[in-house]
Amino acid sequence: MRNKLMLLLSVLIIGTMVLAACGGGQPTAAPAAPAAEEAAPTEAPAAEAAPTEAPADEAAPTEAPAEEAAAASGDCAATLTVWADEQRAPVLLPLGDKFKADTGVCLELVQKQFGSIRDDLKVAGPAGEGPDILIGAHDWIGELVNSGLLAEVSLGDKTDSFVPEGVAACNFDSKLYCLPYAVENVGFFINPDLVPEAPATWDDVKTLSKEIKDAGTKYGYLIQENDPYHFNPIQTAFGGYVFGKDANGNWDPTDVGIGSDGTVAAFEWLDSMYADGLLDRGAAINYDLMSAAFQNGDAAMIIGGPWMLDGFRSAGVPYQVVPLPEGPAGQAKPFLGVQGFMISAFSKQPLLAQTFLQEYVATDEVMSAFVEANPRPSAWVAANANLDDDLKAFGAAGLGSDAMPNIPQMSAVWSSWGTAMQLVSQGKQTPAEAAAEAQTQIETAIAGN
Amino acid sequence: MAATAQKGPGGAQAPSGTSTQPNSIAGWIVRLAALAIIDAFAVWLVYMMLGDGVWQLAVVLAIVTIGINVIFLRPQLYPLRWVSPGLALMVIFVAYPILFTVYISFTNYGDGHLLTKQQTIEQFESQVFLPEDAELYNYAAFRDADGNYMLWLTPRSGGQAFTVTPGSEPVLRDGEPPDVMDGFTRIPQNRIFGELTALSALRFGTDEDSFQVSQQQFGVAAKYEPLYVYDPATDTLTNQQTGVVYSPINGTWTAEDGSTIQPGFMVTIGAYNYSRLFTDPALREPFILVFIWTVLFAALSVIITFSLGTLLAIVFDVPEMPFRRLLRSLLLIPYAIPAFVSVPVWVGLLNPEFGIVSQSIKAVTGGWAPAWFSDPFWAKIGILLIQLWLGMPYMFIIVTGALQSLPTDVYEAADLDGANPWHKFQSITLPLLLITVGPLLVASFAFNFNNFTVIQLYNNGGPPMIGTASPVGHTDILATYTYRIAFASGRGADQGYAAAITVIIFLILVVITFFQFRYTNMLEERGENV
Repeated sequence: MRNKLMLLLSVLIIGTMVLAACGGGQPTAAPAAPAAEEAAPTEAPAAEAAPTEAPADEAAPTEAPAEEAAAASGDCAATLTVWADEQRAPVLLPLGDKFKADTGVCLELVQKQFGSIRDDLKVAGPAGEGPDILIGAHDWIGELVNSGLLAEVSLGDKTDSFVPEGVAACNFDSKLYCLPYAVENVGFFINPDLVPEAPATWDDVKTLSKEIKDAGTKYGYLIQENDPYHFNPIQTAFGGYVFGKDANGNWDPTDVGIGSDGTVAAFEWLDSMYADGLLDRGAAINYDLMSAAFQNGDAAMIIGGPWMLDGFRSAGVPYQVVPLPEGPAGQAKPFLGVQGFMISAFSKQPLLAQTFLQEYVATDEVMSAFVEANPRPSAWVAANANLDDDLKAFGAAGLGSDAMPNIPQMSAVWSSWGTAMQLVSQGKQTPAEAAAEAQTQIETAIAGN
Repeated sequence: MAATAQKGPGGAQAPSGTSTQPNSIAGWIVRLAALAIIDAFAVWLVYMMLGDGVWQLAVVLAIVTIGINVIFLRPQLYPLRWVSPGLALMVIFVAYPILFTVYISFTNYGDGHLLTKQQTIEQFESQVFLPEDAELYNYAAFRDADGNYMLWLTPRSGGQAFTVTPGSEPVLRDGEPPDVMDGFTRIPQNRIFGELTALSALRFGTDEDSFQVSQQQFGVAAKYEPLYVYDPATDTLTNQQTGVVYSPINGTWTAEDGSTIQPGFMVTIGAYNYSRLFTDPALREPFILVFIWTVLFAALSVIITFSLGTLLAIVFDVPEMPFRRLLRSLLLIPYAIPAFVSVPVWVGLLNPEFGIVSQSIKAVTGGWAPAWFSDPFWAKIGILLIQLWLGMPYMFIIVTGALQSLPTDVYEAADLDGANPWHKFQSITLPLLLITVGPLLVASFAFNFNNFTVIQLYNNGGPPMIGTASPVGHTDILATYTYRIAFASGRGADQGYAAAITVIIFLILVVITFFQFRYTNMLEERGENV
């Protein structure tokens, strides 16, 4: 019996060795596609949606960068890996062909969901499997830089071709970390059938709401109960702010403005809208209800972003994008959301990435192509000339505004700020108390780290 | 070599033949072939994992594979063969992640501490600065047949051009860079891109006078100096421009005056996350309230869904009911819809202004509807209602199944004794049901204890509590509350802290379910007396 056991064990071991030797030969070969080494052009996007490339696409989009080194690198002097989403990828693909023809460097395009790029970078970057270039939102910059994941980006001599607010959004700690391509902000929608004349100030909004409500519409001006992002323009119009800036123009996490007089004044305006019956306490209006109300004609004025345009156009509701009403402190400044190209700190060829961005992406054709693919105000001044009137109005609403603070401490702000807004809307706290409490909570959270 | 028989109700009995080894060669061959394939796969995976540096998972996988081999080769372990796939998967996908989470809870892993120490040192050492009044040069690159590079540098401010190779003194030149010189061929400007990586890594010139290609601007070179120098002897980083010395303290490079530079690195910090959990004032005051509501929420969810499920199962247990199958299928629909879809729909239905539930209530009461989202009490009721709708089908199915296994003779005996339906339910049905369904109720409790989805989708844990040091809501459970603490605390994501919180919640749940299992064991004894 023992001999039999030994015989069986040795057969087993030999069988294992043989299978292991014949099976996965190269450590970097994908398990499902040993045939991936066939000379697929390395600039092919690894997404299943790519219409042109078929053979080597079994690799999951997130694994592709590791394979291109092993794949046939025949005529590529070098390879740049780019992570882009489904709206940017079609523009970058022909650019990759041009780049290769000019310089001999291949572009490897990996299509990812926008929302997963940040988390994937945190894992893939340090592991050496990250991209050279990625797209991202500017408010990721603080935490990514603090984690050592981004390299500095330089705009070269093209700085003036960009919208200054877009460039300012990419700034963190006095250095630039992204090349912006889109700038988004909310604007003011009115229903021209119900609103004869666009209100100039927020007090006008109040009086106008009363008239509209008396005339039979359910709401004049409608706002969500717990959405500080949409509330921010009102807050800035009354002089409130989120974070102050230090002498160098960087966000100062020790200067929290949620408890400031301007914010309290904005909360008081909000409270008075509820107190006067122009908004209903406890109605728990959220984003969906607000945009549905505008679409149904139940609300005459809302604050919304360019992402609502498609819905309004297909619903056929009459709308107009007008400048945001002013407040006692002047212009209402919505948060700017900027998207841009960033360079990974773990890229082996940062200069190559830099040059690609400066020379090939930062051009009129490419920036205009981005606008065509996804109609949003562009961060490239020249590309904004072809926007439709609505988008131009959004761009005008965002002039002079600040981008959302991109420092990591911003994550401590949203909950408390939203809670304060909600408590004021529900009438559970006075504006002063709510603002003060949010201020304390935020300062405690920031100091605790 | 008889295999031991299994004990317990309904347990499988191993064949009590003389030998547990199949007599056929074919059986042996199949077994060996399968083991060989599994081993080959495991060897390849372990090799890949070690190559990627994930040695913990490689070790676990190796142990599991060896275990499988032992189980399938030793005849004494015959009964274990049937549980070995489940055991293996449990070890890899349940036990290992738990142990890894415990490990992470003793580190500072999170935003700002994602890298290893060596990676941060490399990043700092690759940073350069330009000393004041330093000259910028345009360059043309040359390459010879052996792969050596040479730069032709022209000062931007105008001045004497020169060429330089790594390790040699500059040689003055005049005129424009030619295409070929001294065995070096010029690289055309548009083909330089392929060589940029190699060029960037070189220091041209001598040690005192070294030039580097700029990483920021194409076509520019200058005498860049490293911004940070790492001294392995003292384990410090020194900033060459300001002279400040940084030491690694708890994963962050800190100077003597307390200022820090980013990025930090991951390091084990002992029980710091746990002590933070217990001493954080922001955490302590609402913690008890949140904990009580979590236990209540889980317990009430189980009780109400079980009650309604049992009621409906008993009602539908009558074979003569018309459309029985159709109605049963309709009752299962809530179970088939994912919570992610149904909870927002319910939130819309319950909306005090626009929701149809609230409007119907207003029609009946003449204008009053519960404030489902702004009143703490009604928010809890609202969530429990949604839980009832979501969880009742599950209980309905399992109780229906359990009812089929109840003995009918006991009921006949009870009828003879003159028991009414309620007596029969209380003394016969319920105890016998609880024996079978008991563990499932415990599992349902554990699931609802951490039911993040429903709470988050309903109102994000709101309505908010007033006067707390950190944002808490009246319907927050431990999971949502601590998620906010760990991931929205101003540092970005703090996975180490979140892992510590997870471990604590896990321990709480283990204690609670331990007592629940003891209770169901008690039920088993009681059920034996029925």
